Amino acid sequence: MANKNSSKPKLSKGILEMKFMQRTKEKVNKEIEAAEGREMYSSEITERMKNSKSNFITEPSFVHCENLIEGRLSFRGMNPEIERLLELEKAEKEATKRHEQSTDVSNEDMAKFYHDAKAAGAGRTMENKFNKYKKVNAQKRHMKDVDANEAQPNQGGFAGKKRKGKFMKPSEDDN
Amino acid sequence: MTEVVMPGDRIPAAEEMGKTKKVILGPGLRRQDEHVVACKVGILQHKEPNTFWVDSYQRRYVPVRGEHIIGVVTSKAGDIFRVDIGSSEQAALPYLAFEQATKKNRPDVNTGDLVYARLVVASKDFEPELVCVNSSGKKGKLGVLSDGFVFNCSLNLARMILRENCPLLAALTKEIPFEIAVGLNGRIWIKAKSVKETIAVGNAILAAEHASNEQISKICENIGNILFI
Repeated sequence: MANKNSSKPKLSKGILEMKFMQRTKEKVNKEIEAAEGREMYSSEITERMKNSKSNFITEPSFVHCENLIEGRLSFRGMNPEIERLLELEKAEKEATKRHEQSTDVSNEDMAKFYHDAKAAGAGRTMENKFNKYKKVNAQKRHMKDVDANEAQPNQGGFAGKKRKGKFMKPSEDDN
Repeated sequence: MTEVVMPGDRIPAAEEMGKTKKVILGPGLRRQDEHVVACKVGILQHKEPNTFWVDSYQRRYVPVRGEHIIGVVTSKAGDIFRVDIGSSEQAALPYLAFEQATKKNRPDVNTGDLVYARLVVASKDFEPELVCVNSSGKKGKLGVLSDGFVFNCSLNLARMILRENCPLLAALTKEIPFEIAVGLNGRIWIKAKSVKETIAVGNAILAAEHASNEQISKICENIGNILFI
């Protein structure tokens, strides 16, 4: 381990024991562990396994392939306990289904409606909000352009910024 | 479209799809370098959007993690029960894997009992492990199956019964009230009100293996008629 990492400077044991180095110590330990793990499996992990981005997922069970239901069932009151569980499952399933159906106006339609109608309500207020910023930004941009035109070309836009808060030196001291 | 594949056959459809998007390879298919090949004889199945698998006739169960199976407790060994699940090796069922079991409060399970359990460990290299509780520690539908009758069948029949569109159980329950546990290891446990009814349900299930959906409803009707003359 030690001679492998010799190229990298290592922190000594004494330093790592110090109180303020605890977080670093944790990190160092993790690195060592990872290196050990890699070494352990280096014979089994091939280069292809390391950098393969496979599109294939293996699924060993038929349950997900064929959408199989759970195999414990009871009918017509033979085992009330199981039937109650089945009822609960059914109700849960239906609840999620109904939730999906509940939107009869899609999000896109909604957005379109607000955009087209520009009626009173959320659409209008939000737009007004952004309009305000648009106005301020436009003014700012205009001022900057003017400044840049006035300033020397080699100083660039930097001069324009400087002018805003220029310190005026008092002409004389009073003491 | 039914395509019969043999072990070693390449599956061009899956390979083609794998070039552009994710593909799920189910049981009976495996990857070999850049190819997708079948490793079982059977009919190649495809489910939208991207799942492929081989539906093969099989009676020997190979444990798969997460599947629900029916096992027979064969012995108690220290803190585990040994359970025969029909695979090449017996499974281990720790006695702590029951609802509200503690070291002092052992579950009442004896040799010869049937358990409906879920596989949590199913690896090539170690013995399969079972539990009788779900992830929140409740027993749910798992646990010991008392009374009733158990019989073996092919893995295909067990899967067929559990398909969502299978009419068998719905048709059968119209005739006879009963309780059933289907293990994906090809064991089916049934319990009806009398021995006669239990036998009828068992026979109906076994007869349904090679029957079409219409035949299934006819079989169930016949059984109902014979029973209640």
